Amino acid sequence: MKILRNISYLTILLSFFGTIAFASGHWSLKEAAKPYEGTTVDVVFLLRPGYEAIEAMLPAFEEETGISINIIKHPYENALGEQVRDFVAGGDLDIALIDLVWIGNFAENEWIVPLADVQAKFPDIVDPDLDIDDFFPLVLNAFGGWNDIVYGLPFDNYSGLLFYNRCWLEEAGFGAPPETWGDLKDIYGPALTGDGKYAFALQSKRNETQSADSFARMLWPFGGSFLDADFKSNLNSAESQTGLKFRQDLMQYMPDGIVAYDHAETVNAFSQGDVAMITEWSAFYSTVVSPDTSKVADCVEIAPEPKGPAGRKPALGGFSLAVASQADEAEQAAAYLFIQWATSKANAREYLERGGVPARQSVYMQDGLENFKFVPALVESWQDGVPEFRPRFAEWPEITEIVQEWGTKIMLGEVTTEEGAQEIGTRMEDVLEAAGYYSGDKPLAQ
Amino acid sequence: MHRQVSRRTIFAFIGPAVIGLSLVGIAPLLYAVWTSLHFYNLTKLKRVEFIGLENYWKVLTDEVFWQAMGRTFFLLGTALPLQIALGLIIALVLHQPGLTLLKTLGRLSLVLPMATTYAVVGLLGQVMFNQKFGVVNQLLGGANINWIGDPNNAFFMIIFWDVWQWTPFVALVLLAGLTMVPVEIEEAARLETKSNWVLLRFVQLPFLVPGLVAVLILRTADTLKLFDMVFTLTRGGPGSSTEFISLMIQRVGFRGFDQGLASAQAVILLIITIVLAQLYIRVFYKEV
Repeated sequence: MKILRNISYLTILLSFFGTIAFASGHWSLKEAAKPYEGTTVDVVFLLRPGYEAIEAMLPAFEEETGISINIIKHPYENALGEQVRDFVAGGDLDIALIDLVWIGNFAENEWIVPLADVQAKFPDIVDPDLDIDDFFPLVLNAFGGWNDIVYGLPFDNYSGLLFYNRCWLEEAGFGAPPETWGDLKDIYGPALTGDGKYAFALQSKRNETQSADSFARMLWPFGGSFLDADFKSNLNSAESQTGLKFRQDLMQYMPDGIVAYDHAETVNAFSQGDVAMITEWSAFYSTVVSPDTSKVADCVEIAPEPKGPAGRKPALGGFSLAVASQADEAEQAAAYLFIQWATSKANAREYLERGGVPARQSVYMQDGLENFKFVPALVESWQDGVPEFRPRFAEWPEITEIVQEWGTKIMLGEVTTEEGAQEIGTRMEDVLEAAGYYSGDKPLAQ
Repeated sequence: MHRQVSRRTIFAFIGPAVIGLSLVGIAPLLYAVWTSLHFYNLTKLKRVEFIGLENYWKVLTDEVFWQAMGRTFFLLGTALPLQIALGLIIALVLHQPGLTLLKTLGRLSLVLPMATTYAVVGLLGQVMFNQKFGVVNQLLGGANINWIGDPNNAFFMIIFWDVWQWTPFVALVLLAGLTMVPVEIEEAARLETKSNWVLLRFVQLPFLVPGLVAVLILRTADTLKLFDMVFTLTRGGPGSSTEFISLMIQRVGFRGFDQGLASAQAVILLIITIVLAQLYIRVFYKEV
């Protein structure tokens, strides 16, 4: 309810500014950006399709506004560290690129400015057509919101999807992909595995991939979770254990050494025709359907992630862009203009066509999206996702390290699922206790 | 005529270097010590506080730290003897008379592995040891060995690359030691015995010891701080199987952002390195 109320306030605020803007004449990006012409905005981008898409669109923005966007590219694994160091040192970054699990950290450290504050400070630059309600509420809340305050606008948006090789499945006698995780393991697994080919690959490398793509993916559909309502570990609950044991059982239908598979290896195994199905982020769609990078481009189909006993709980991930508090006034305004433009309704279609995945509901209602096979599954996933798929509080960077270490040990059989869950739980609770959640110093944020 | 050099002149020559070294070397070390005595997490800077030796206690009682340390010393204990043995063989071969051109080419080729950037070695490893497309499995008759995804194989791979990259260094240092042996002594010894072992043990080895001590100290320090190659090759995985001490420190300090704890780990590592270096010098020089 709080989120809805917050969104309503924001809408009223925007309507107010919109009315002012309308009353004072037609709003244009060019006019709004005039005072900030010549400003340079520094932002971190990842080496992923969504960023290439916006980079290709960037000349139009720079030409219209006279604002330069200085892009600093990093692989995902370095992006958090680089930004943290920059913000701690009072560096150059004017925009924060925020993975949904970083937002608590960034917000609590006041490295980012609430969207409403920027809009109140620079009312002239607020596009009356921003239409914040057009963002999928789940995505806006999870990627850009913290403690009922919107900081960032969703920019590079993912939902976990089931990518499957239709030709291979048809050859094996399957007319459709598995509807449940149980079917995937018990029916599709044995039928599609053999001769060096595998039914499924679950990216599980020891980094955020292990905790987000592998460990968490098997908790939620089975009714498990990291924490219970009191912020104590829930990993040894029957539901969480069922999920973790399921992952162990499923490994027989995955390639050897799956604990060394990151996104690149998994997408590559699927694209080379070695694996029949993967659950990957929507952002990799353009890679698997491009004949330049995929041998199975013509056979790729997309479905929502399979359901578990607790329903369909697909992985949720993605990034928002927020204005950095360390930027000076001109840079903050220019940064806001860029964020607003990059996530706008008007640019969503082009962004999609260039390989990005916008979080605007309106774009997915347009005609001519038949070529984007992931759209129906994506829209369905964003209706029923779990914002706390991974806890988004400031302590996540420490907790994810614990999950990565012991999650991998579980997969390698070095410890049982119970022992691993116990270790993660104990260590996770130590971190949360030190942070002050149990003493009441900090509210149980989620 | 001997003339006393003034203190001012001495300071003018040595002072800048001392100040420079202090700024570059000592100041960061002191800062690390200061950090290690505090709760100092980059994402919780509002909570920085003096906690005394708590970080050190945490490190010393953390089994994960000691497991990483054990792994590091196991690597040192396996890779270093191999490097010394192979390096000695190469040095002895190159020390033989004749075949000047081939020996020159051999010496030159020894530099190549050392000149290769650590990170590039790791990336090379990723390609060459790829289970499906890697040249190593192809050379093994199309074997389907999972190098990177198997904990034991991944550890073996790290040993292989470390030996590949640093055996030439050992060989060159030992070769330099062999060239220090006076020719007349070596020739005289050859008249006394036909045994190469006796020659090596009683004539050449004393000249090799200073080089060997240098190798032991440098390679121990290098192995304890081995990072780039492993980071690009396995990132410490699978699981923790190749998480050596320097990777652990990086993980704690730059992925968990706990700079205080990471600094305590680094200071302990530094102390271990210094103790080992002293030990090598005392034990081996005493033998000479």
